[in-house]
Amino acid sequence: MKNRAALIFGYNDYALEIAKNIRDEYENIYLYSLNSEQDTLKNRSDFEVKSFDLSDKWDELNENIEIEKSIAFCVLEDSAENIFLTISLRSSFPDLNIIALSNNKQTASKLQMAGANKVIPLVQTTAEMIAEMLQKPIIKEVFHKILFQSGTLKIAQVKIDEKNSYVGKKIFDIDWSKKYGVMVLALVNKDMSSEFIYSSKIKHHVVDKDDVFIVVGYETDIKEFEKITGSRCD
Amino acid sequence: MNFFTSLVVDFAYFLNSSQAYQRKKRFFYDILENDKYQYKKYFDIFMIILIFSSVAILIAEVKSEINIYLKIFNIYVISFIFFIEYMLRFWISSSVSEIIINKSEHAAALGRKFYLYKALLSAAKVKLGFVFSIKAMIDLLAILPFFHELRLLRLFVIFRVFKLFRYTKSFQAFTSVLATKKFEFFILFIFSSIVVFVSSVLVYVMEAQNPKSPINTLFDALYWSIVTIATVGYGDIVAVTTEGRIVAIFVIIAGISVLAFTTSIVVSAFTEKLDEIREIKTIDNIRRLKHFYLICGYESVAQEVVRKLKSTKTSIIVLDEDAQRVENAKKDGLMAINYDPGDIESYKKIGIDIDLQVEAILCLRESDIENVYTTLTVRSISKDVNIISLLMDDANRNKLKFAGANEIFYPKGLVGMISKELTGRPVAFEVIHALRNDYYGVNVEEILVDDRMSKNILYISELNSAKYRIILLGIYKKSTKRFFFNPTESTMLESGDYLLVIGNYTFMREFEKHLHTKIKR
Repeated sequence: MKNRAALIFGYNDYALEIAKNIRDEYENIYLYSLNSEQDTLKNRSDFEVKSFDLSDKWDELNENIEIEKSIAFCVLEDSAENIFLTISLRSSFPDLNIIALSNNKQTASKLQMAGANKVIPLVQTTAEMIAEMLQKPIIKEVFHKILFQSGTLKIAQVKIDEKNSYVGKKIFDIDWSKKYGVMVLALVNKDMSSEFIYSSKIKHHVVDKDDVFIVVGYETDIKEFEKITGSRCD
Repeated sequence: MNFFTSLVVDFAYFLNSSQAYQRKKRFFYDILENDKYQYKKYFDIFMIILIFSSVAILIAEVKSEINIYLKIFNIYVISFIFFIEYMLRFWISSSVSEIIINKSEHAAALGRKFYLYKALLSAAKVKLGFVFSIKAMIDLLAILPFFHELRLLRLFVIFRVFKLFRYTKSFQAFTSVLATKKFEFFILFIFSSIVVFVSSVLVYVMEAQNPKSPINTLFDALYWSIVTIATVGYGDIVAVTTEGRIVAIFVIIAGISVLAFTTSIVVSAFTEKLDEIREIKTIDNIRRLKHFYLICGYESVAQEVVRKLKSTKTSIIVLDEDAQRVENAKKDGLMAINYDPGDIESYKKIGIDIDLQVEAILCLRESDIENVYTTLTVRSISKDVNIISLLMDDANRNKLKFAGANEIFYPKGLVGMISKELTGRPVAFEVIHALRNDYYGVNVEEILVDDRMSKNILYISELNSAKYRIILLGIYKKSTKRFFFNPTESTMLESGDYLLVIGNYTFMREFEKHLHTKIKR
């Protein structure tokens, strides 16, 4: 039987941090190493270390993993190898969700060209956080709590059900913050891109079934909001 | 110790421990000598104005009768100010009381008899050292026009121009650069003197006998020789005999070499000292800054942080021990100094007040050892400055915390957290990311509630944010130091609070304007 899995390519600190953070989301996490023998020996984590080769045809993955529902992280330290790996995975699995790590801007664009769904630009992201800490310390603190920490303030994606009483109403006329204590930040488009709630494009949007909203609120309020409007689709 | 000696020693101790006396002495030292003292520049400007006005009056006096008040101002007032300045400089140049105390304590420690005259002699030696220093002699000569009865002494007004050296740093930099080539200038002087001496004697011998020659005295010959060697060649005095002209050929060739040698000495002195001069200038500029971020280590993360901070009004200074990285920082338009951020001496040399001037210190080397060392160094200088550091290996987190870092950024951990969000709530994550980075013209801002705003708008209900298409995410209350998400309409706005708002940039500015507009109640 095929499994839904998280495949992390590269055995290093990045891979271990990723594995640690996504273990609640994915039951099966596999670490793939280019030097598996050496890495298996020094492996102190609970995760299984498998070997792979850049010239691999990925037959094993094809047989055991449900590719469409799985995710791959390319975190090899050598940029050229990481790009090669991304291309290799994309050419074999067009539907695999690939997240790749880049150390600089040049590599980021190459990884995107190589077929990564999402690139994490390491240096830029770190710099953004530091700059935000200096310029907007309160915003940094609040968003950090919302996104990364297990506080009571959360961000969620909520889908509108067919039976919802708000269907057919203008988005601008609804004040959910007063009623339910949640704030709607954005509306998710069909192509999974998002639009700010006050942008001119969706200012006159009429709430429809299957609309997905990005909301911020306290955990309890979001749950209450879900009951009334639809379901969470995280 | 006899009565008089002990009286003098007691008085010396009194002066040394008197706070009022030391405070006054310190004040005059700061205003006259301390470049870091903020009011010194005003004193310098005042003195420069006095010097120029004095010289201007001297020039005006040459061909016309000037106003008597101007004369009095020039001869008495300015001279008197210069005299006061000279005496103050004499006073602060050294401490006689300290010399007496040191000598008496030294004698007591060794069980020897203390001789007051020896201590006074040492003090006099130190004071004479000041009196005979070039700067002090110029100061003294500049006061001489005070004795205007001696007409010649009035010409000493021109010495006041030399006082400019004291007040303008570029002059000081110029002389200090040339001073590094003392030996070369000495060689040049000897060479030129020999050429001038030999050629003037030779040309005098060759020309003086000839009735057609304008060179009749040794002084004429000397004058001709100097004019020729300097490659000036006025042509008022020329050699007319063949022998004299042969001498002239040699002097002209020697003159070219002297000129070339002088130019090369000056150029090489400036080339060698250029970096130092630039560094002094950079340090001077840094000292003048009121607020800045200090980045220790200019590697990839630091470069990116600088790019992100470019829009901010706060200046950015880079400290790095690696010359190449400093060069990169300069190319990026930053003020950068090639000093080791882990060395206390670096901060002393720059002469900044970390608590007052530095908003935050960013230890951004991609090495935990360096960052821990720098953090510890900075913390030993200032207990309160905000230190933000990069962490490369999580095993070193405690060391960095122990060293005194306020905020730690661990890129690997960040990758882990982002991965979690990307697998769990990818769209929500992207929304927050877009807001943080001002994509699509929508951003999130902190608006400080100032006094005016808190008087205009008392409650959240009066903000009218929906009208400006602004989402009020919450309020950060200064009094409780807590963030309140989705505050109720009856929440009061107090000065020092922050509103966290999301919206279009243009609407945001309109909203801010609205917040500052007085509401008629």
